[in-house]
Amino acid sequence: MMKLSKTWTGGILLLCGLLFYNCQNQAPAKQGLVVNGPVRFDANKAPFPKLSEYAFFKGIQSELKPNAGVLPYELITPLFTDYAHKSRFVWMPKGERASVNDEGRLEFPDQAVLIKNFYYPADFKQPEKDWDLIETRLLMKIKGEWQAFTYVWDEQEHDADLNIVGDFKPVSWQDEKGRKQSIEYAVPNKTQCKSCHNRNESIQPIGPKVANLNKALRYPDGKTENQLSRWQKSGYLATGDYGKQFAKLASWNEPKTGSLDDRARAYLDVNCGHCHHPQGPAHSSGLYLQADQADPTHWGVCKPPVAAGKGSGGRQYGIVPGHPESSILLYRMEKTDPGVMMPEIGRVMVHQEAVELIRDWIAELKGDCK
Amino acid sequence: MKFFQIALLFAICTACSNQPAEIHAPDTALYTDIQTQLINAKPGDVIKIPAGTHYFDRPLLLDGVKGVTIQGAGKDKTILSFLGQKAGAEGLKITADSVLVQDLTVIDSKGDAIRIQDAKNITLRNVKATWSGGAKAANGGYGLYPVGCDGVLIDKCEASFASDAGIYVGQSRNVVVTNSYAHENVAGIEIENCTNAEVRYCRSEQNTGGILVFDLPGLPAGNGKTCKIHHNKILRNNHRNFAPEGNIVATVAPGTGLIFLAAKDVEVYKNEVIGHKTMGAAIASYHMTQLKWDDKNYDPYTYDIKLHDNHFERKATIPDLTKDFGKMVNVYFRGKPQDILYDGILDDKRPKSANPMNICIDQPQSGLRFANIDAANDFKNIQTNLKPYLCK
Repeated sequence: MMKLSKTWTGGILLLCGLLFYNCQNQAPAKQGLVVNGPVRFDANKAPFPKLSEYAFFKGIQSELKPNAGVLPYELITPLFTDYAHKSRFVWMPKGERASVNDEGRLEFPDQAVLIKNFYYPADFKQPEKDWDLIETRLLMKIKGEWQAFTYVWDEQEHDADLNIVGDFKPVSWQDEKGRKQSIEYAVPNKTQCKSCHNRNESIQPIGPKVANLNKALRYPDGKTENQLSRWQKSGYLATGDYGKQFAKLASWNEPKTGSLDDRARAYLDVNCGHCHHPQGPAHSSGLYLQADQADPTHWGVCKPPVAAGKGSGGRQYGIVPGHPESSILLYRMEKTDPGVMMPEIGRVMVHQEAVELIRDWIAELKGDCK
Repeated sequence: MKFFQIALLFAICTACSNQPAEIHAPDTALYTDIQTQLINAKPGDVIKIPAGTHYFDRPLLLDGVKGVTIQGAGKDKTILSFLGQKAGAEGLKITADSVLVQDLTVIDSKGDAIRIQDAKNITLRNVKATWSGGAKAANGGYGLYPVGCDGVLIDKCEASFASDAGIYVGQSRNVVVTNSYAHENVAGIEIENCTNAEVRYCRSEQNTGGILVFDLPGLPAGNGKTCKIHHNKILRNNHRNFAPEGNIVATVAPGTGLIFLAAKDVEVYKNEVIGHKTMGAAIASYHMTQLKWDDKNYDPYTYDIKLHDNHFERKATIPDLTKDFGKMVNVYFRGKPQDILYDGILDDKRPKSANPMNICIDQPQSGLRFANIDAANDFKNIQTNLKPYLCK
């Protein structure tokens, strides 16, 4: 899990294997910091300086094995962060549970914590093996208000330290197509967290909505189960048939889960709609990209930019139906200049597969801006 | 040999001082110190940034804490350079009430230099925003950029080389821009979708357009109104338009002093409007942009505009030929710059009269070139008679 060149990694793996084999019957060889006992979250003392102090993970910290009461979850369509892999968990105090509001967003109880780990497998074809842990972000609800903290993992991946001002971390990996990638991954600062997690100027989680959670997950106990029902069985979600009440979000890259329009709107909802929302920080643009925005002008069709500057790329409208090459929305997704690109933080790479999705979608939209 | 060539190259590069300086290593220690102070700030804190040119690769952010002062050692003494910026679009981004930013310069941000959003009672004093490579489309859009604010004071500030507007106040209420200097931007000073704004004692010079009052559709803060523009020097705004297409200011013709676009209740007085090659002042409804809009609440017309006691002096040359407005002046006024042009587009819902939009012009100087260009009827009936528009 440390940064090692490929040949060295192979050699060391072999060596470790031999050692393991020899010592099997003695005390197991352990690497990294080990934490035992239950979750130790204390809203009065949070944020702790080190991630291990919460004991969200049991045993070797870098293995990210959830402790009792720490429930893994996944999203149907996740936010893109430079191809980082993410593992998400939720924890709530005993006897507390989330409810669901009118928009289908989960309303969490006080002291709930959302835990999100960001990591890069050395080889994306084998995501379970040899990964490089970067950061763990915590969203905790304290006295009714969400607070965001990020913990950056140390080189040895023993533990992660609270980081307030953000950082750049060099990471490299081999992608699914076998190409070597390397970037300077940007760890956000505390204020930047709020620039996405923001509704009416207070911090809000983005992912946990009924529409985006309504999928099956294989749990550590080996059972595969719909997440809503597992949350309810675990006592983390109020009873109710929410899956029926709220339309399931399409999975942006799985055509069987929705039409091109459904998948494009789902992608824009998750990746843009948290800011580009009437109560989000990008409200001043008048561009609203949440999936339920019905007014085409507001989701960009023939909408002139307001304060795009060079972000317009010389194009006239957010979306020109049938013409991705004339649409500002696509232009800003295709760029990595921090003064042009969208989202304006959270990536240094182009999400190529999403660019293709949005290009195909705009190409199929009907109408014109004459 | 190779070494010598490299050394020579270095010597040449150092000599061309107009180019942006090479990227310096970021001062991560200072950045961390200041950003930590900003994150941990308590109301009323003063955060000092020492003199010197400091290179940062990320924006400085202040959020949610009232009454913080960000204090430099002087406008040209504390210089925050974002030349090597790797993340975040702005130089300084603030979402906090009652903030005061003073005595510093922000240079070469990838996006806007200083953006202050959704805040009350904000002040920028003796602050400068600029881009070191000169006028380029790749520069950030706005220099000083409060948006969605209530209570804005911009005092003794300077902004140059913004690819959109040097000083831009958008969707805000109760705005004062004073004693400030905007030069070589596309728009010098722009007031957009604001209510109750005042631009006074400013100098807007050698931009593409000097001072703009715009009201645009599709925005949360629609239909701005009530603006006073007075005692400003609006000089020689003949700069080539280097705004990227698609932005509304990309349509501004070089050589334009003032534009009132879909503006309502604007009083313009005691300004010097000197040396413009296309037009001193344009009074136009949003239809002139030929852009579509789909905003039922939007009022595209310009009305209740009062110009009095200003001094207009044209530049004796051929008007701009690069933008439609300039071409229009060339075609319909035989290559003669104009002082005040009014598009004459009327809102049919208003009672018919000689001056239904209440455009009032009290400019008794001799030789003033005024025209109602009858834009609604393809310029068929251009009228240069000022009489219907004299103030009562």
